[in-house]
Amino acid sequence: MANITKKVSWSSRADESGGTGEGTPLLNGSGQPRLSRQLSGGGSVFQIGRLSTVDLEEEMSSEEDSLRGRLKEIPHNEKLLSLKFESLDYDNIENQLFLEEERRMSYMGFRCLEISRWVVCGLIGFLTGLIACFIDIAVEEIAGIKYRVVKENIEKFTEVGGLSISLILWVVLNSVFVMVGAIIVACIEPIAAGSGIPQIKCYLNGVKIPRVVRLKTLVVKVFGVICSVVGGLAVGKEGPMIHSGAVVAAGVSQGRSTSLKKDLKMFEYFRRDTEKRDFVSAGAAAGVSAAFGAPVGGVLFSLEEGASFWNQMLTWRIFFASMISTFTLNFFLSIYHKKPGDDVRNTVDYNLYEIPLFIIMGAIGGLLGALFNKLNYWLTIFRIRYVHRPCLQVIEAVLVAAVTATVSFTMIYFSNDCQPLGPDHTEEYPLQLFCADGEYNSMATTFFNTPERSVRSLFHNQPGTYNPLTLGLFTLTYFFLACWTYGLAVSAGVFIPSLLIGAAWGRLFGILLASITSTGSIWAGPGKYALIGAAAQLGGIVRMTLSLTVIMVEATGNVTFGLPIMLVLMTAKIVGDYFVEGLYDIHIKLQSVPFLHWDAPATSHWLTAREVMSSPVTCLNRIEKVGTIVDVLSNTSTNHNGFAVVTQGAGGDEPAKLCGLILRSQLIVLLKHKVFVELARSRLTLRKLQLKDFRDAYPRFPPIQSIHVSQDERECMMDLNEFMNATPYTVPQDTSLPRVFKLFRALGLRHLVVVDDENRVVGLVTRKDLARYHLGKHGLEELQLAQT
Amino acid sequence: MSLYKNSSFWVLLMLIYIYTLVSSGEVNVLATDSTDKMRQTPSFSPAPAAAVVMGDSPAFKPGVEALFSLNLLSSFPEDLEISKYCSELLLIFGQRYVAYVNCLVTAARPVQVCQKCYSSYGSLVDTYANISSDQMGAGDNDSCRDSLLRSDRLMLVYLLYSNMQELWAKSDCDKCITKGFQSPTNDTLYFMNTHNQTVTCFNKYQQGNYTELCKDCKSSYKSLNELYSRMETNQTMCIDIEDTMNMTRRLWSRKYNCSFPREETVPVIAVSSFMLFLPIIFYLSSFLHSEQKKRKLIHPKRAKSYASLVNIQSKLS
Repeated sequence: MANITKKVSWSSRADESGGTGEGTPLLNGSGQPRLSRQLSGGGSVFQIGRLSTVDLEEEMSSEEDSLRGRLKEIPHNEKLLSLKFESLDYDNIENQLFLEEERRMSYMGFRCLEISRWVVCGLIGFLTGLIACFIDIAVEEIAGIKYRVVKENIEKFTEVGGLSISLILWVVLNSVFVMVGAIIVACIEPIAAGSGIPQIKCYLNGVKIPRVVRLKTLVVKVFGVICSVVGGLAVGKEGPMIHSGAVVAAGVSQGRSTSLKKDLKMFEYFRRDTEKRDFVSAGAAAGVSAAFGAPVGGVLFSLEEGASFWNQMLTWRIFFASMISTFTLNFFLSIYHKKPGDDVRNTVDYNLYEIPLFIIMGAIGGLLGALFNKLNYWLTIFRIRYVHRPCLQVIEAVLVAAVTATVSFTMIYFSNDCQPLGPDHTEEYPLQLFCADGEYNSMATTFFNTPERSVRSLFHNQPGTYNPLTLGLFTLTYFFLACWTYGLAVSAGVFIPSLLIGAAWGRLFGILLASITSTGSIWAGPGKYALIGAAAQLGGIVRMTLSLTVIMVEATGNVTFGLPIMLVLMTAKIVGDYFVEGLYDIHIKLQSVPFLHWDAPATSHWLTAREVMSSPVTCLNRIEKVGTIVDVLSNTSTNHNGFAVVTQGAGGDEPAKLCGLILRSQLIVLLKHKVFVELARSRLTLRKLQLKDFRDAYPRFPPIQSIHVSQDERECMMDLNEFMNATPYTVPQDTSLPRVFKLFRALGLRHLVVVDDENRVVGLVTRKDLARYHLGKHGLEELQLAQT
Repeated sequence: MSLYKNSSFWVLLMLIYIYTLVSSGEVNVLATDSTDKMRQTPSFSPAPAAAVVMGDSPAFKPGVEALFSLNLLSSFPEDLEISKYCSELLLIFGQRYVAYVNCLVTAARPVQVCQKCYSSYGSLVDTYANISSDQMGAGDNDSCRDSLLRSDRLMLVYLLYSNMQELWAKSDCDKCITKGFQSPTNDTLYFMNTHNQTVTCFNKYQQGNYTELCKDCKSSYKSLNELYSRMETNQTMCIDIEDTMNMTRRLWSRKYNCSFPREETVPVIAVSSFMLFLPIIFYLSSFLHSEQKKRKLIHPKRAKSYASLVNIQSKLS
């Protein structure tokens, strides 16, 4: 224990002197608390009780003092927690209204509810499949037109000269598509940028990411991903499909759209965070299964990435949604391609002695993945700090598109790798360029194609289709292009580019193996090594394990390959984790999301709830004056969401006894409906407020500023007894952090009240209080809260 | 004695018979002497006897055993033999089979299997159609289809025929030959004509002045190429045409070296380096001119409790 403290205090000094704000080190609490100072925040006075750092050192406090006068500003970094993120209310609010409604509901009512859950899951699967199908077909058609135009142009100019004009045409076409995609993302809905998997991961973790499951996001996401894939960026459409599935789920399960102002009056029971989150996990699973044709992989993805709340029936429903989604996609695609059921999977075998080779490839994948993540991390920090205005983001995306096209063209232009056309024309748009007649440029099959098709040709083409130099150059350029592309303000995923990089170097590995060993050409099929390389690279970048194995096995339709893929992913994860985290985790951190991992940091048992909690807690009385409530809610400097309801003791100042918990959203609905004691007395006919009124306002509760409360009404009283959650979860002050963490994570809490031995409120633990501890290089570190 | 056993015996006979035919055919091909092919056929008669004797021997070599004992044929009951009609059919089938295979081998390189052998394939198809029809042989109540094609596990006649059929289908000959194996289609003839023109043009410049060739024959080569790609899209091509075109292309690109040269490297490099330069400017300028985004730190409300500090200190010490 002493060891840790030493480390901590050392790190703290380094940090403070560096002044970079690299996360306040965890306070070991041996110093005097530095206390209350006045801050001018809307005229109100509030206290900042802050445990200060280390050992009563004078020079430290002098630096702190200089910062006191104003809010400290630091450049964005990964060790921050943003205030804009809130928790979802996964915990059921068991107030009297809820009990009444439950009493009124018949047995049949509950059966109907169960059935409608299944119906909703079916709908989610169906719609997700349809959207995936739409994206697939749109990309195929539009990209087909683009490639045909460019191909004709190149053919024309190969003959008469002037290929630089073809280059410019290609660049312009790509840039235009990407510009459209970037404009709709950057200017209309910035949350639709990127793959969407980090956002969905956060949502399923219980963080309410603003606007992440809105209809507008879905539309922008779908059109954005079509634009960016057609625009030839090094991106895939899988991540956005998963996000789309989640949005569809959130929309369908509510039976209405607030954006369209349409209410179907259906599924009203599901209008709360608990139900919605379950459906969103089904939607994410359906998205995965539509993207990869892997229903079981989808279910496991939901399990691995998201749902902390898992039960048998939910799993079964999620699986249903996944199956429906895969089926829908396959059904419509087979109609589109006019050849139903044509799904030939090639079977490849492996020998036992190849497994060490696979593990080596896994290690390479882990290394390359770590490099990818590190580069992308620096790039993303740069982007957040400097490229944050929408117009700059659009320009950046367009530039990336232009450079991607240029690099591809140059590679194709200078490639000397010519291959004869295959008998069955697996090459969609063969470019001849300077090759002999009847042959095509082999580099063009990888660059002059949508990334998805390139992956397929790397997996399936005959041995000898690519020569090692082509593959090597391709891997190198595509690695940097993909790394540069991820994190742009376009909606695009990272799955397919990673697969493509991996497949390219995997194939290269296979070819080299065959040329080195004498018998290698017999057993080292390049397609097989391309598959393993793809798995290794993807595992090295995203660090998913169970779900990725199943997704790969299902996507290739080859169960016997399960063991090698699993070993490869394990190695890639172990090697990669040694250097840096997975790409999605990096991005979650950089977004300053208060994300709760599976467990509390390992060395945090000595921290108790008393150090963790926020204090003092804003409390309300059981019967509270409206004016007080309005003031508390409109206090912008605190902006709390949960308020402890207390019964005041006989004395004045002492913290009163806890008797319930009420949420901001509830208070706002109460204020909106003017549920005041005086009004209820005067108007006897006043309708009693029901749970339905709360559901109707969900999920966009109006801000407090939009609710008008007159001066007279401020004097009224409000009775909270009926509406508060009378039995909130509480912990004693001395509970250790891991225990608090476990309770919080497992029950999906939003507020956890800390009480003393007389049931008096001493503090409140929220997500941000727990998420700020993490295990850094120098032991336990603490993240800072920041306004973003 | 079951019927099955006997009939299987008969098929064994046929096996040897046809084997002999084919092997003798191959010999002929090597010797390029097709005329004495028929002279060898009588040698089939001793073979069945050998088959009877050696029937169970795993190392069954009819060619060697064929010299031994003869007239075991007569020892079988009349009604189990194949009818005279059928054996005649079988004989004809064998002859035509040999003729077709013979033709195929000579047309293997350069590939001309469709143009040269369509007639012999046609007659083979006719014979097989006869065999497989329901028509009864004279005085027999067993059709040749049953006795020749499906009396045994091996179904040799069928197997042989289906091999040839597969070959025909694989080479897409149907697309170059009219229905009923009358003649090559007009498209094919036209293509061959155009091809001949091109080759004539090539031959004019055999002396080695290939740059002249590239210039002068370009139009005819180009029209050939276009015709080919039209046929490719119409799916009216067989292996003959594909192979001819491949050879011509190889001549054109490899031997005469008439492919397009890579000439305009400089403009391409200029344009691409300009493109690659743009992002550098962009990032530099946004680094220098864009305002760095700062985050305002918020100080959280925390409990001030001496008790806990003391507590921790005691724990630490």
